Order: sequence, then structure tokens, then C-alpha cells
Amino acid sequence: MLKYVAKRLIQGLLLLMLFLALLYILLDAQPGDISLQLSANPRLPPEAQEIVRERLGLDQPLLGRTVTYVLNFFQGDLGLSFTQYPRTVGSVILEKLPRTILLFLSATILAYYMGFALGKVMAWRRGKTVETGLTLGGVAAYTVFYPWFAILMLWFWGFQFGLFPLGKFIDVDEWTGAPMAANRVFMRMLISLGILGLVLGAVSLLAHRLPPERGEQVARYGPPLVLVAFLAFWWLSPLRSYVADIAHHTLLPVLTLASVQFAGVMLLTRASMLETLKEDYILTARAKGLPQRDIRNRHAARNALLPVVTSLVLALSFVIGGGILTEGIFSWPGIGGQLLDATLTEDIPLATGTLGVIGIIALVGHLISDVLYMYLDPRIRTS
Amino acid sequence: MATPNGRKLLEVDHLVMHYKTKKGDVSAIEDVSFSLAQGESLGLVGESGCGKTSVAMSLMRLAADNARYLNGEIRLDGEDLLALSEEAMRKRRWKSIAMVFQGAMNSWNPVYTVGDQIEEAIDLHIEPRPTEKQIRERMSRLFEMVGLNPAMLDRYPHEFSGGMRQRAVIAMALSCDPRLIIADEPTTALDVIVQDQILKELKKIQEKLGMTLIYISHDIAVIAEVTDTIGVMYAGKLVEYGSTLEVFHRPKHPYSYLLLSSTPSITGPRRKLAPLEGEPANLLDPPSGCRFHPRCPFATEICVTDEPPLEDKVPGHKAACWHSDRVPVTIGVAV
Repeated sequence: MLKYVAKRLIQGLLLLMLFLALLYILLDAQPGDISLQLSANPRLPPEAQEIVRERLGLDQPLLGRTVTYVLNFFQGDLGLSFTQYPRTVGSVILEKLPRTILLFLSATILAYYMGFALGKVMAWRRGKTVETGLTLGGVAAYTVFYPWFAILMLWFWGFQFGLFPLGKFIDVDEWTGAPMAANRVFMRMLISLGILGLVLGAVSLLAHRLPPERGEQVARYGPPLVLVAFLAFWWLSPLRSYVADIAHHTLLPVLTLASVQFAGVMLLTRASMLETLKEDYILTARAKGLPQRDIRNRHAARNALLPVVTSLVLALSFVIGGGILTEGIFSWPGIGGQLLDATLTEDIPLATGTLGVIGIIALVGHLISDVLYMYLDPRIRTS
Repeated sequence: MATPNGRKLLEVDHLVMHYKTKKGDVSAIEDVSFSLAQGESLGLVGESGCGKTSVAMSLMRLAADNARYLNGEIRLDGEDLLALSEEAMRKRRWKSIAMVFQGAMNSWNPVYTVGDQIEEAIDLHIEPRPTEKQIRERMSRLFEMVGLNPAMLDRYPHEFSGGMRQRAVIAMALSCDPRLIIADEPTTALDVIVQDQILKELKKIQEKLGMTLIYISHDIAVIAEVTDTIGVMYAGKLVEYGSTLEVFHRPKHPYSYLLLSSTPSITGPRRKLAPLEGEPANLLDPPSGCRFHPRCPFATEICVTDEPPLEDKVPGHKAACWHSDRVPVTIGVAV
């Protein structure tokens, strides 16, 4: 099993190198570089431009530059941003990336949790009103034009009802005299959410390991207890109002993103579950006299989960496209908006670095799903 | 061989079941009656779509949602299964009646070990709940009985060969000491050699445990190897019922006769195979009178108009045919 993971890891690293090289070459192939931007400045003589080119290494052959870039990337050196000089690309990404991760991770988790839970019930209640209604709603949400939907959500909840702020991720007035920079508060939130996830995972693992009766109790009371403890922690913290402000800003984009993603997951789960329900082992489970709930959850849903996990990986590519849209509409200062800005201002190092990091996210996602798959499907574990 | 109070273990009494479809009612089981005492074995034989599986599914009460029981009772130990609530029936499944399915190859959920899946049934039905160790011992014994290594309990279904999976299914069927086991074409997907091994194993276990068995197959030769009694079904009706030897050598229904003569024999004298002509009856609109008359070589006027009753032709050997005296004797085929 470790061997499999190691193999996948090495494959991923090779793929990343190839991806970075290709990325660098592609972005280099487009017309224009920094010297063209400098030549727009009439006070800079051509000799000075030449010096800048030389110091940036732009006079070197393409192949050499590509190799240097890939090597530097692996050492964590992503170069300097042209537009935010003298900040490094790395520091810009480090500032923006966590915000994007929070947005997408919470939306994705929410969407997959809800989508899977509802999708399996839909398949189970095939032909009933619940199913027809959810299918119609699901198809509508799945096919909706996303930017329009996002603006609609913003207009409805933010403008008409004033329930949510109209954009950005903090309210600047609230933060005057704050004891800590918004980004650090934000990082703490992210870390605490990570811990929450780990604890919840541990609780569900414990519930599986314990004997049935005790395990069921743990499964029922464990997660709510952990959630209450988590909320209490932030409630009692001196940073409460700041954390609340960030959460308030996060909620609407997360809900918007989740409701679109959720529909796809729900419809996929329904289709996958309907396939599984036709399997012979479902008939065996019924013949064994298992209660309906066990047949649905233990036998059908467990197998219907596999294609849904695959779609989770594919959903990661949505981070790139959807990121630009969502962050644009909600003026969310994340990496998607950053990528758009970098492209528009021809900040090539920043654009390359951002795309490179998105590539890493996609690869990590694939690795996680490979491991998940191995855990979920014994047929993969042995081969 | 009846139970102490003279009652049979299983009594199916004038069972009528139709599937409701958009095109009309499909008469899948039409007035079928038979009974089995403890330790007896019955083979149900017939072409695809003749209602064998519908009978099996009705015994488990697992027939499709559109099945409607119009008449009759299925009594297990005197209790009418059709009258039970779903919850009460659920508790009897596997504990009273277990089943070895047609697609036994796919009867296993691929994501759990075979042991876990057997344990699931034991957990559910055996009271008081045995300890982990007792369950393990029980499963090991079952595995040994069907000729599998108990170490295989911790393996996943995909690590088993087809024959091994089928043996494991039999072990699972035995796990809760059911009163009755229904085997629905359990060897159809296996190659002939494995099929033979499994049949012998099943026969051995049945005799050893005094198990009551209903064996369903389209292959009359296979049935003959395992069961004492044969019921021949055609178009939802039981057309012949009697001891295996009787039906085999002196069939009283032309359909049984044709089934037998379309099966090649290795040991018997060389003869021409007679293929069974025509298509099985359309159950949406079954033929009038005797349902077999359009394909029957002996059919006359009366077969088209009147339905023959299932009655004793020889004591203990029933058939539903107006011309059973014209059905030739077959000389030991394939047995």
C-alpha cells in the first residue's frame, strides 16, 4: 500500500515538472515580455532596457530558462512579481491562496456531503414526488449560467435583504485597531478548521472500530459535541468579532458555489445509486433480511460512492475556472482574481507561479483521490 | 416424513401471482400447489420465463414491486408468509428461508470481505448474539463444510474463483440454520466440472444436515442429480409433479417428455435429439385451454378449449394433460 502511494507520488512529481516546463514555455511563447512594457516608458533608454533584460535573464536561450525556472520552483523560488515589485510571487500566492482554499474546500465539502446524502435518498425513493422535485431542482441548478446565478444570489441576499456583505472578505471599518492582521486571524481560522476536520474524521473512525452499540452512540453524539466545542472555542476567543466578520463575508460565496456544485453531485449520486441498486448483491442483502437502512447505506451507497469520488477530483479543475468567476463577482481577494489581474497586466512570473500552484493543487487532489479509492475499493488495493 | 403434528414444513396452496404491467397482467404463477416435508428436496424445472424464479422469489417475498398475489397461501410451518407484515417477513428471511441466487457470481458485495458479509447475517438473526469468537468458529466450520479454507474468510470476493464464490454462497446460506434453502440456478454460470463438484457438495450437505431444499434449474439433468421430487413448470403452471425417477422414466406430460428428449445422454443408447419446437407461451395473453397446446404434438380439440386439471395419473405422480397415456416412456436419459 505504501509502495503504491510512493509510486503515485513519484509519478506526480514527474508530471509536475513536465507541467511547469510546458507552462513556462507556453507563457513565454506569447508575444511581449517585460522589456516591451518598459519601452512604453519614454524615460528609459534602450540600453537600460537591455540591462533589465540581461539581469532578468531574458537574453538566455528558452531551454535554459525553462530548466532554471523548474529548478527554482522546486526550491520555492517563484521569482519576483512585475506589478507588485519588489514582492516575490511566492509571498503574493501565500497571501491569497489560503482564502481561495477556504472558499472552495468548504463549498466542496458542503456540496459533496449534501449532494451524496440527498442523491442516495432520491434513488431509494425512485418515482416518488420527492425524487421528481429534487431532480427538477437539481437539473435547474446544474444547468444555470453560473455568473448570472452568483449575481442573483448577491442581489437577493446581499442587496435586497442585506443579510450578507456585498463582497471582499473583511469589513475594513471593523478592523481598525484590531490586535492582529486579518491574514493571521484568517490563517488561525483555517488551521482550526483543519483540526476540526481531523477530529471529526477520528470520531467517525472510532465509531467504526467500536462494537456496534457503543459505536452508534459515538456516531450520533460525537460530531455535534465536537462542533459545539469548536464554536465555543471561537466564541470565547478575544478575536470573536473579527472571526465572525470573516465568516460573515465567506458565507454567501460558499453557499453560492456549493449550491451549483451540490446539484451535480446529487444527480451523479442518484444515477450511480440507481445502477448499484440493480446489482445482485443488493438482492442478496434483501434476502438476508437486512433492514432497509442497512441495505441503502452499507451496501448500495457504499458502492455508489466510487464514481462520486472520481467526480470530486474532476471538480478540482473547477477551482481554476470557477475561481475566477466567483472571486470576480464577490470581489474575493483570492488566487483566481489574482491570476486574472496578472494576465491582464502581463505579470508573467505571477501568472506562471499561480498556474503552477493550481497545478500542484490538482495533482494533490488526484493523489488524495487515489488513496481514497484504494481505501474504498479493495479490488484496487490488491492489484 | 411429516413434522410431528402431521404438518408439512412448506405448503404452497393454489398460489396465483400476476405482474402488473402497462401492457396488462402477466400471469407468472397460475394456481401452483406443492408441499415439502422436512428433509425433502424438490426440483423445479422449465424453460426461461416459466415462473420458476417467480415461485422462488414469492417464497422469500422478494418478488418485484408490481407482483400481485391474487390467490393462495404460502405456509411455512403453518404460518402464511403472504399475510405477514414486511418487518415480520424480514426477520424470517435467511433465518427460516435462505437462498442461493442465480447470479451467485455477483451475489457478493465487492467492498466487504466474504467473512464480514456472512457475519452480517449471523449478527442479524442468531439470538442471543454470539461472541466474536463463536461467530468466527461457526463461519470456519461452514467454510470447511463447503470445502473452503477458513483463512479465505478474510478475503474479498474478487480473490475467489467462480466455484469458490459459489461454495461461499452456500456457506452463507447455511449460516443461520435455515429450515428451507432455495437454490435458484446456482451452477448455471459455472463450467461443467465445477458445476458437478458443487452439485455433489450440495447433495452431500443436504443429506448430512437433513436440509429441505428447493432446486431450480432449466437443466433437467442437473435437477435429477440433486432432488427426490420434480415439479415441471410451463407458462406459470405446474404441469407435472412426481418423484424424480418416475418423471424421468415415465413422464406423463408431453412437455416433460420433450424436455427430456431434447437433452443428450452420454450413457444411454444413441438416439436422435428432438428439439422443442416453438416459442414459450406469451404470459400477457396465455393460450386458451392447456397452455402448452400450440407446441404439443398430441394436442386435440379438447386441449384448445378445456384446461386439464393437475391430477394423479399414477398414485403420487400428478400431471395436467388430457392425453397423458399417449406420452411415450423415455429410457433413462442423462442419469
